[in-house]
Amino acid sequence: MDSKENNLEKNISRLVKLTGDTDKPSKAFTDSLTEQALGELKKAEGDHKREEKGAKMKLNLKKTLAWAATIMIVCALGLGVLVSNTKRASKEIGKIAGLTDKPTSTPAATRLDPSGRAKIEYTEVGDKTAVVGHEAKSAEPSVTKAPDAPVARDVTANQLVPVSKDAATVEELGKAREISDLKVQTDMLQVSGQMPSAKDAFTAGKVDTRLGVLSGGEAGIRQKYQEEMMSMDMTGQAGTVGEARVVQERPMFVATPKPVEYRAGYPMAHGGVVPPNGEDADAMFFKNYGVNPFVDTEDDHLSTFATDVDTGSYTIVRRYLHDGHLPPEKAVRVEEFVNYFKYGYAAPQEDDFAVYAESSPWKFGAGRKNSFLLRLGLKAKQVSDENRKPAILTFVIDVSGSMKRENRLGLVKKSLRMLVEKLRPQDRIGIAVYGSRGRKVMDYKGLSEKAEILAAINSLCSSGSTYAEEGIRIGYEMAESAYKKGHINRVILCSDGVANVGQTGADQILKVIKKRAEKGITLSAIGFGMGNYNDVLMERLGDKGNGYYAYIDTIAEAKRIFEDNLTGALQVVARDVKVQIDFNPDVVRSYRLLGYENRDVPDDKFRDDKYDGGEMGAGHSTTALYELKLWPEKEGTVATSYVRYKDADTFAVSEFKSSIATADIKKSFDDSNTNFRLAATAAQFAEILRKSYWAKGAKLSDTLEHAKRLSTERSGHADIAELVDLISKTIQLTEKADVEPVDGEESEDIIYLQP
Amino acid sequence: MNNDLSKQSRAGFAEGDPEVWREFIVRQIPQLYGMFIKRWANPSLAEELVQRTVFDAVRGRASYDASKGSPEEWIFGIARNNIRLEMRRRAGRPGVDGDISSYLEAIDTKPLPDEVLERKEMAVIVRAAFARLESKEQVALKAKYIEGLSARKIAGQIGISEKAVHSLLYRARNSLRAELEFETAL
Repeated sequence: MDSKENNLEKNISRLVKLTGDTDKPSKAFTDSLTEQALGELKKAEGDHKREEKGAKMKLNLKKTLAWAATIMIVCALGLGVLVSNTKRASKEIGKIAGLTDKPTSTPAATRLDPSGRAKIEYTEVGDKTAVVGHEAKSAEPSVTKAPDAPVARDVTANQLVPVSKDAATVEELGKAREISDLKVQTDMLQVSGQMPSAKDAFTAGKVDTRLGVLSGGEAGIRQKYQEEMMSMDMTGQAGTVGEARVVQERPMFVATPKPVEYRAGYPMAHGGVVPPNGEDADAMFFKNYGVNPFVDTEDDHLSTFATDVDTGSYTIVRRYLHDGHLPPEKAVRVEEFVNYFKYGYAAPQEDDFAVYAESSPWKFGAGRKNSFLLRLGLKAKQVSDENRKPAILTFVIDVSGSMKRENRLGLVKKSLRMLVEKLRPQDRIGIAVYGSRGRKVMDYKGLSEKAEILAAINSLCSSGSTYAEEGIRIGYEMAESAYKKGHINRVILCSDGVANVGQTGADQILKVIKKRAEKGITLSAIGFGMGNYNDVLMERLGDKGNGYYAYIDTIAEAKRIFEDNLTGALQVVARDVKVQIDFNPDVVRSYRLLGYENRDVPDDKFRDDKYDGGEMGAGHSTTALYELKLWPEKEGTVATSYVRYKDADTFAVSEFKSSIATADIKKSFDDSNTNFRLAATAAQFAEILRKSYWAKGAKLSDTLEHAKRLSTERSGHADIAELVDLISKTIQLTEKADVEPVDGEESEDIIYLQP
Repeated sequence: MNNDLSKQSRAGFAEGDPEVWREFIVRQIPQLYGMFIKRWANPSLAEELVQRTVFDAVRGRASYDASKGSPEEWIFGIARNNIRLEMRRRAGRPGVDGDISSYLEAIDTKPLPDEVLERKEMAVIVRAAFARLESKEQVALKAKYIEGLSARKIAGQIGISEKAVHSLLYRARNSLRAELEFETAL
């Protein structure tokens, strides 16, 4: 499953908790934790038994006279020093304990108390006495470098005759265990039966110690420990001799040398402690907004979204495919694919908008019957070039080092020169740039000074870091000083969206932009470049700036944006355009909106005029597609669409509605008009590319067939020919024609039931 | 202490008697939770620390020594150690600065740092954003993430299908996310 959806869910889960009563844990939490803990209790019980059995078996194997003798000597020696050292060790433990808690008030501390007692148990092996148990407290985790690490011990069981010389050995034993423990546990608290490796490690250490005593004396023992500790495999099976039953305890003090990560063995209450994934600085930034699910009209018969006239996603994908790569799924936004194409909607003569609705059955995805496609087209009124308002354009151009790549800046310059050619005498242009710092390059000039404008454009060269915030700020300051009412006041940002100095996050920049947009200074974000392109930022800038977002990959695309429809790109005719579709639950069983995932508007915000919608330029059109499941044999209104928007100049709010009935539904997909099928084809292509759950089983080859047919019907349309080309390329790149979609978030949750 | 286990129960405690432990855990959870939440006003973190403490206790029960204190004192000692560990963990981390919004922006790419969740304004922002959701979405989110109910239970409570609950939750999460961004963008 999508890790983004997981992250989102975890974070939302944590955030939602902040809204509740925080003093008490929820009952659900208490119940579930209690069950988990009891489960653990039983499990641990089982483990414990298994280990005891294992220990016994080993014990038998090792029950030799030689061993017993060795052990006896070791223990005897150890006890002697033990007694003499107990005081010192106790003091040390006490010191440490005192740093944190008063033992009297801290049961755990009491357990590992100032007298710092650890226990060594003895048992009889045959007629010999052997050390079989050892209980110590680990105090300092600094591996092998803690000569002062306090080790406390106490002889509580069957006493042996102390032999003073070897007491150090016992102290070493304690250390050895500490070290091994700490190696294993880092920060987590160890408990009996959970960490056999630590136990085994200790056992091995101890056995070696004994051998060392026999063979080499104290120095040898020390060295032996060091080596042993170093070589001990944390997860390994170091222990071979098992007559020791180690009762581990929680370490009292754990000074971890590195940031702590929680051990996987602990079920997380939430996902919040995993270190953030380091993002590659040179990564492309896209964002996955998910895929809209099918919604039962019984649950929610309203679908609301903000219009979108952006086309950036399609051009980015085109760029990927031309470069011979399949695009990342999240780079694909269905609505931008659909909106890239022109559907020949007639512009309204008197009204601000015309709405076109059409529906027909369609086939997409495996085994989906009773599937209808509903297309809603919204066309804004046309404004002729001559009637376009005079524009005050402020170019903010990214000239940072990253713009050197692939000659991004070169494409920017060409695009701008193209735009200058399309300007009219009353328009004015100013230029600001940003690299390591932002600065004004040219104050506003009209076409009478065209040569100077072009010279300023040509003089741009890239270098340095990217102080986007400053550049954008300077651009807006210029725009504010040049602001004229009744003009188009537009900042045009040309960038790859990478910011690495100043406020590099989007939010500071977005705040500035949003405020200015309310005043009437809007922003268009024009994206350039691949490799480290930030799609998310650019799209949001265009969105918040009440302008639009386009991505220029080729000079042809620059032409499309700056030459073919400059008026549409510049002159906004409607602001905060929102669309609400009211599906008739008697006719429509369920629906899903294709795309517009990041344009979702809560149903009850539709008539909230403060809630941001989309902006539409003169002559712009936007198309929304819904996949519908209908109740069988029902007739009547399928859906009523409401469009609400503000006049670009007066901000007066208007709303109008139109509806489509079952009688309007075409008999078959082939009966529908070319434009309808074109939109369907573009959407299918996008759905398959983004591996939408709903494209499961859909074959790209079918989509290609549709596209080819359209191409013959509309010969001479470069856009359609290109679509055919891109689909073919995708098929080649996919090896197999049909892309097996990965399951989306909704896949397991929503399975459409066939009527 | 009134809440302490009886002497009889204490024997069962050391032996890992499930009934004694159940009683013990159920009683300790709210107390431990209160102890953690006082230190870090972060319900999720508090839950996690409670969970860790309880597991430490279960796994380390062999180390409990009745002669040294009651089980209640003992588990509070474990809890204190967990607080210490958490403090140490935090010390090794870079501080959280800058805008909350930049963290909310990345809400689907990485876990929000605890320090961000604990900011005072965070609860204010979340409450404001939450209040703007549709009531159905609010109910679903609370039922799921505060009450910890299953989709089936939620479905039963609000009278829609289980599948509809999943899609409602899906939309609710995205709405809340949008509202959070909206809240901080202003």
